[in-house]
Amino acid sequence: MYPIWEGLFVHSAMYVAIIATFHVLASHLTVAGAWFNLYIERRAVRENRPELYEYLKRSALGLMVFSYVFGAMSGVGIWQSTTAANPRGISTLIHNFVFYWGSEWYMFLIDVIGIIAYYYTIGRVSKETHLRLAWILALGGSGTLSLIVGILSFKLTPGAWLENGLSLAGFYNPTFWPQWLMRFAFMFVITGGWSLIIATGIPRGYFEREKIIRYAGGIGLIGLVIGVCLWLFWYEPTLPIHARTVMVSPAVVPLTYPVIITGIVAAALGLGLSLLAPQLQRRWIALILMALIQAAIFGAERVREVIRKPDIISGYMSSNQLLFNDLPARGIASEEANLKRDGMMGNLPFMPSPGRLSTNTKIANPQLEIGRTLVTQQCSACHNVSLQTEIRVVNRRFVLRSLADLLVARQRTTAAEIDVYIKAIQGFPYMHEMVGTDAERAAMAIYLEHFITQTYDNQATTISQR
Amino acid sequence: MEIQDMLKMMRDPLGAPFFPVVFQVLLVVTWVLHIHFVTSAIGSSAYSIFAFLNKEADHLRLGRIAARLTPNMVGLGIVTGIAPLLFVQVIYDPLWYAANTLTGFWSVTFIFVVMGGYSLAYLFYLKGSKDGRLLWSAVLSLCLLCFAGWVMHALHAVSIRPEQWTYWYAPGGVIDTRGVIFHAYDIPRLFFLLPLQAGLGFAITLLFVAWYLRQRADADPVFLEWTANLGCRIGKTVSLLYGVAGLFWASAEGPEFGLTAFIAVLTFGLSVGLYLFFKSVDKQPIQAGAKAIGVWFAALLLVAIAREVIRTISLGRFDYSVANYPYIIDWGSVLMFGVTSIAGVSVVAYLVMVIYQAGLSADGTVSAKTERFGRIATGLLGAWFGFFLLVGLYTALFLQQ
Ligand code: HEC
Ligand code: HEM
Repeated sequence: MYPIWEGLFVHSAMYVAIIATFHVLASHLTVAGAWFNLYIERRAVRENRPELYEYLKRSALGLMVFSYVFGAMSGVGIWQSTTAANPRGISTLIHNFVFYWGSEWYMFLIDVIGIIAYYYTIGRVSKETHLRLAWILALGGSGTLSLIVGILSFKLTPGAWLENGLSLAGFYNPTFWPQWLMRFAFMFVITGGWSLIIATGIPRGYFEREKIIRYAGGIGLIGLVIGVCLWLFWYEPTLPIHARTVMVSPAVVPLTYPVIITGIVAAALGLGLSLLAPQLQRRWIALILMALIQAAIFGAERVREVIRKPDIISGYMSSNQLLFNDLPARGIASEEANLKRDGMMGNLPFMPSPGRLSTNTKIANPQLEIGRTLVTQQCSACHNVSLQTEIRVVNRRFVLRSLADLLVARQRTTAAEIDVYIKAIQGFPYMHEMVGTDAERAAMAIYLEHFITQTYDNQATTISQR
Repeated sequence: MEIQDMLKMMRDPLGAPFFPVVFQVLLVVTWVLHIHFVTSAIGSSAYSIFAFLNKEADHLRLGRIAARLTPNMVGLGIVTGIAPLLFVQVIYDPLWYAANTLTGFWSVTFIFVVMGGYSLAYLFYLKGSKDGRLLWSAVLSLCLLCFAGWVMHALHAVSIRPEQWTYWYAPGGVIDTRGVIFHAYDIPRLFFLLPLQAGLGFAITLLFVAWYLRQRADADPVFLEWTANLGCRIGKTVSLLYGVAGLFWASAEGPEFGLTAFIAVLTFGLSVGLYLFFKSVDKQPIQAGAKAIGVWFAALLLVAIAREVIRTISLGRFDYSVANYPYIIDWGSVLMFGVTSIAGVSVVAYLVMVIYQAGLSADGTVSAKTERFGRIATGLLGAWFGFFLLVGLYTALFLQQ
């Protein structure tokens, strides 16, 4: 429906992933940091301990520069990159949830103006006023988190929205609740980790140091236990069967699970150490711990995104950005049905008509060009399909699930073999049937044969996926 | 495929969740905030560089204030940019998505550019603005911010020219999926919107800052007087250039859409109006701070409406209009946004009041009335979570079957 942006050197999907990593770090820290600061500030007020404000000021500056604006920025970044990579997916979310996002925007505004107010008024306004600002930041951050969970979880489990088309049903969908609770639980793990980094920086012998570390360990551990239980006993069982199948398929990079488990174990050990032997806690341990937790979160977020494959909006839109089901409640009909019958070329705004290609005298083989257009449109969401999204360093290639590699691995290297093979890709749980006529599939096969030659002609010996 | 069929087909089948014209109004209004903050950021960034090069004492003193304003303005510019970003996608989805995919590489790079500009502005403020070290960071930051503006502008310019999209994407039928080419731009328009509005926005900021700070007990009236005068001088000069750039804009983009006279009259009128405003206050510019903000936002609103008229006329050629964008009334959305607006607006208002009042007095007192309001606003925000859960419960029980 829209032009395809494949990415340049790096595959468009990897741009999204890279920005998302950063966003996850910044945004979770925002919320976690706000709660931790609230806790410290309450103690500062209650026990009349002005020296704690010194810490708050430093932390607020760090949060302001790093978390808040970078959190918001990288949030916009995810948006820009998913828009470029997959506009119609975002479009569905926007047209369903623009007012929910608008609501989240208020929370953003509260966060960003709030942290400016918080930082510049430390020591200037009364303690009660400043404590109120701390509350506002903690609540605002939590509000942001709450609102985004509904939109994110919708993509995997739209729930009754598929029948009644109501935004509320899509927002408070079946995986909303467990994911919402889980995120808050894990947020306390990050709060714990963050507080450890801060508290281990307090000079030794300072009488509260050990106590804060112990608290941080305790809070984090409780969050961890609750979070893992929610995952095992509520979130995972709520997932559609299809998602659980994809979860253990090659669609998820194998390294992901060890990373997640390492993160959980490391968190348990690191936080446990703080709880039991706070005097042994060190800053470098805290930093490593935080890095491992972040890696695990990133892994988990990737899994959450991948198990939706081959859909963008489960049961509604496929990753070729076309609707493959009706939505009677909103008077919407499947788009794929007609395209399967009439073909893709010339029947969508940005699929040039074959006529335009055959009259272009600069093109030697119009079939090849048709094939390239179709493969780009249908397969590039998940695969590297051209040299444009490949990075080659000496003889190593960095590519995302290259179709050339996959086909060579299956020894399907001629157009005829490829044609037969891709006719049946819907047999894999993470792919849909290709859309188009038999002639169009034949053209795709011609292009893929050519792509294999292109890829291997360049004599790369070592293959490295992803 | 005819352009009008293409545009209809590209519209999201879900339609808008509320009256489309409401999104159009929100788009225009929130964009005014956005452009105010980003251009003032660019203005104050440019000025702080000038001040540190010039090294004269008053300039240096004001330059430090400007260096501190810059990153905060950028931050607010980003946050206020998100709102129009939301609304533009609802009613102009074909345009926004086509522009962002056709220019995909820059659309994604944009965010790194803004982050870079923002971080460097912070670096300069925190580490450099005391003694003028690290001036390169301020210069680089300014360049990146301007480049971000260029990307925004190119996206917009592509988006209002649907008749060219398929050609840009697939010249001769061969698709280009790199998204590296800036297919359309209009330099006079950008010159009008960015550097000149940066000058004006900064001039207004100076009037406002002087007006605001003069109320403090420890104010330095001489310096503030000087600041306001400087703002007035910048304002008078730039507002004239503004009109000239407006005429260029009219002659560049006007003929394409049959809007030459409209753009020319409007921008020139704005230029004259702003000049007269600055002229009328130049006896006692320090008194004009609050009024200046009002005048400036009115001017920006007119600019925003002009942009919207151009877009509307351009799309009208292909029978695309916000007025006939399909929609439903989705009550869940309305409820969520309505209730969140109450809590959100209250809390934001409270925060702004705290910043404003705390900055005014030397010891940072916030009035008792504001405090009472703050208690209520914070309570509303807390109560919002109750609302959020109750609606969820209702949905789970009654709408999820
Ligand atoms: C929704 C994402 C997605 C899309 C779209 C997609 N694929 Fe795949 N495909 C995958 C995943 C995930 C794998 C597994 C990769 C692996 O084994 O490492 C895969 C594997 C393959 C394989 C190798 C299968 C095997 O194991 O033998 C082929 C061939 C293939 N895809 C072809 C295609 C073609 C042709 C298209 C376009 C019509 C396409 N894919 C579109 C996700 C996708
Ligand atoms: C800090 C760097 C930025 C600068 C200098 C900048 C500048 C501009 C300019 C000049 C325009 C008008 C373009 C035209 O009419 O030709 C514009 C529009 C816009 N900007 Fe920005 N901007 C910046 C950052 C952002 C960010 C971070 C966002 C998103 C969060 C954003 C969202 C928008 C939107 C949605 C529009 C309106 C587009 C339309 O109406 O089609 N901007 N910006």
